[in-house]
Amino acid sequence: MLTSINPTMKALAVLIPALLLAFTFDPLTPFIYLVFTVAVTFLFGKVAFKRWIAMFSPFLLLAGSFAWMTMLHPSDTFSGGDVLFAIWSFQVTSDSFWAGISLGLRSLSFAALSLLFILTTDSTKFMLSLMQQCKLPPKLTFGILAGYRFLPTFRYELQVLRQAHRIRGVGRARGVKERLHQFRRYAIPLFANAIRKAERVALAMESKGFTGETDRTHYHEMTIDKRDWVFVSLFFVMFFVSVLLSYQLGFLNIFGNHF
Amino acid sequence: MSIKHHKPLLSLENFSFGYDSDKEPLLKNLTFSIHPQETILCIGPSGSGKSSLSLCLNGLYPEAVEGWAKGEIMYNGTPLSHFKKGEINKEIGVVFQDPESQFCMVTVENELAFTLENMKTPREEMTGKIDDMLSAVGLTEEKHRAIHELSGGNKQKVALASVLLLNPTLLILDEPTANLDPVSRLEFIELIYSLKQERGFALFIIDHQLDDWLPLMDRVIAINRRGNILLEGKPEDVFYNEAEKLKEEGIHIPRIVETVLDRQEGKVPETYRPLSEADLGSWMNVTGQMTSLISEKIQPFDSGANEVSEVLSIRNISFSRGKQSILKGIDLSLQSGELIAIVGKNGAGKSTLLQVMSGILAPKTGSRLLLNKQYEAWSEHEMRKVMGYVFQNPEHQFITDTVYEEIAFGMKINGVNQDKIEQNVNQLLKRFRLTSHKWSNPFALSGGQKRRLSVATMLEDTPSVLLFDEPTFGQDAQTTEELMQMIQTLQRQGTAIVFVTHDMDLVDTYCEKVYVVYGGEVSFSGKPDELWERPEILHHAKLRLPFRVRINRLLENLHPNEKKQGGVRAHANIH
Repeated sequence: MLTSINPTMKALAVLIPALLLAFTFDPLTPFIYLVFTVAVTFLFGKVAFKRWIAMFSPFLLLAGSFAWMTMLHPSDTFSGGDVLFAIWSFQVTSDSFWAGISLGLRSLSFAALSLLFILTTDSTKFMLSLMQQCKLPPKLTFGILAGYRFLPTFRYELQVLRQAHRIRGVGRARGVKERLHQFRRYAIPLFANAIRKAERVALAMESKGFTGETDRTHYHEMTIDKRDWVFVSLFFVMFFVSVLLSYQLGFLNIFGNHF
Repeated sequence: MSIKHHKPLLSLENFSFGYDSDKEPLLKNLTFSIHPQETILCIGPSGSGKSSLSLCLNGLYPEAVEGWAKGEIMYNGTPLSHFKKGEINKEIGVVFQDPESQFCMVTVENELAFTLENMKTPREEMTGKIDDMLSAVGLTEEKHRAIHELSGGNKQKVALASVLLLNPTLLILDEPTANLDPVSRLEFIELIYSLKQERGFALFIIDHQLDDWLPLMDRVIAINRRGNILLEGKPEDVFYNEAEKLKEEGIHIPRIVETVLDRQEGKVPETYRPLSEADLGSWMNVTGQMTSLISEKIQPFDSGANEVSEVLSIRNISFSRGKQSILKGIDLSLQSGELIAIVGKNGAGKSTLLQVMSGILAPKTGSRLLLNKQYEAWSEHEMRKVMGYVFQNPEHQFITDTVYEEIAFGMKINGVNQDKIEQNVNQLLKRFRLTSHKWSNPFALSGGQKRRLSVATMLEDTPSVLLFDEPTFGQDAQTTEELMQMIQTLQRQGTAIVFVTHDMDLVDTYCEKVYVVYGGEVSFSGKPDELWERPEILHHAKLRLPFRVRINRLLENLHPNEKKQGGVRAHANIH
């Protein structure tokens, strides 16, 4: 069901709460939002848990280290409170502990929101929606889509180049100067090919009657209907619900100010 | 045909085109016309401007390249320049050579929709039109698949389908089969033929591989090296009467024509000039030329002169990528001075096998010997000296800025002294006819020159083994011939050669041994002549019989009584 939400609207629903979350410095608000995001991902998107966790776990590590760093090196605002524990000369106070946990949870919320978008959105449809809803020029839209097709080719070509150079007896580059030289050796054939291909694709597109005009019909009509609005509202409302909840429970902290 | 009575669909009058206004134009004073429903074959040597012509004909050039043009191209009497942008493209469609670079969408369905959107087709009509077109080109099953996963042949069919959605009155095909294997090529040509019968568009075909197109042609236009029209006329007249003139320009004569001319010593009666293999068969039958085409196997190696020894052998090699098993239990052995071919359909594991043989990839199991020494015992540096590898695209191998440095590179690494380098490089330059390009950038050379240079760089010492990954793919016949001459010289010096190829004519003429790879295993190894007798292997590996064998089979089938097994082989002729 998440896949059928208009991609532009989905991007809004993900982006704006993420921005707002950046200002909540307490642990509860991002935690509630994280739980909500993950729940939506699995309840309404057909996302395989294995795939999700494979992409999410690096963020766990990252968030953990963020939190840890904040605990050990708190800014003055968060160095108050009782000392919870000490490692060597570092003292972790309750304030800095919770600030660290909050930062970790915020990072995870961003990660979960991003994954929700990435795993349920078709890149072609996202570009088409940007063209149809946000008036992105067709030349740019189809240009990006054509470029997107080239990414795997590019990787393959680099691999072949490496092998070919190895056959010629070019060893592994050592030192900055040699590396620069090697970069140049790879870059020239790669770019030469990329330019040639880009030209060919442009000609092929034009010969299929593409002019870049905005006046065109759409095979995938990307519309915004009631459901999309409900979806965006849900994400907005949920943000304020979690803020309210933390306020009620006395946790809320916005930009360092306790409420 | 009564084509001449119609008004021409497209006509050129004294049309010239060039990229640079200071230099000589690429195309000079072309005057010809294309009539509705006509099929024209345009031939010419590489670099004669044929591809530029195709883009001029549908109005994209000269604007797209900031070139200049003189004279007019008229479509139904209106100059192309009077059409609004995008309008003429709906009348004149083009399918290009490279299957990798003519799409802008990920899936087949969306690519076809892209054309319809450009034409402002109402959305309700799109699905129906896409489905009809897919069934016309036989890709209904592939509708939702990603284009990059398709085979080269199917990619070209997608390109064709998306152009045909424009419903063009003229279809231009710019070497559409140059990058396809022989079986896919034949399939594509047959598809074009049946679609033309159905839809009645005019066809303007540019190609180097003429044989399979010939039966469809109404007219041939030949362009010479300088960009002028050399010849124009019915295919029989052009090929049978002007063969010498074409050869002088470096244009290859179709094999069917060549066979007849060879047997008649140039004198062919006007009444019967075959253009298809079937006609050639009945011509040979009627004129009593029943002797079958003999194998013109070229043996560069007079055995006995050199001592033959095993240079490379691999035993029980397996290789997998992730969970996917790519090679399973492969045995192969290579003698000095031998030329063997590895053949099979796309994705069978041919290139992987070659990479394992070259030492770039390490197999999961099995043992490899090079000059009776385990691969693992070789240092990378020493191994590269005795074994060369020529990639499919010569550009991938270039690492310096000049042809001279390119050839000297390996010797410099090996610490050869300067005088010796100078001497060797000059010799190689001479041998590969690159002396006049000594200080050119390798990337600025022509296709044939690049191919020659890529081989030259592997020859600083005479290597014991030289591996080639599809060296003739997308090359014209002349480049192929040049390459084969170089290879034979090497063979005489004792170098063992391995080829990955789709070209069965090459295998038939030059190879002593052929390995068929199918599903990661060797399903056949032996003499090419034995392979031609195994229809089941040819069929599953998607191999097409070489021309010589096809004609001989035709003859046998015309006289099944004289040859006992004639009837059994009928099936093989389909390929």
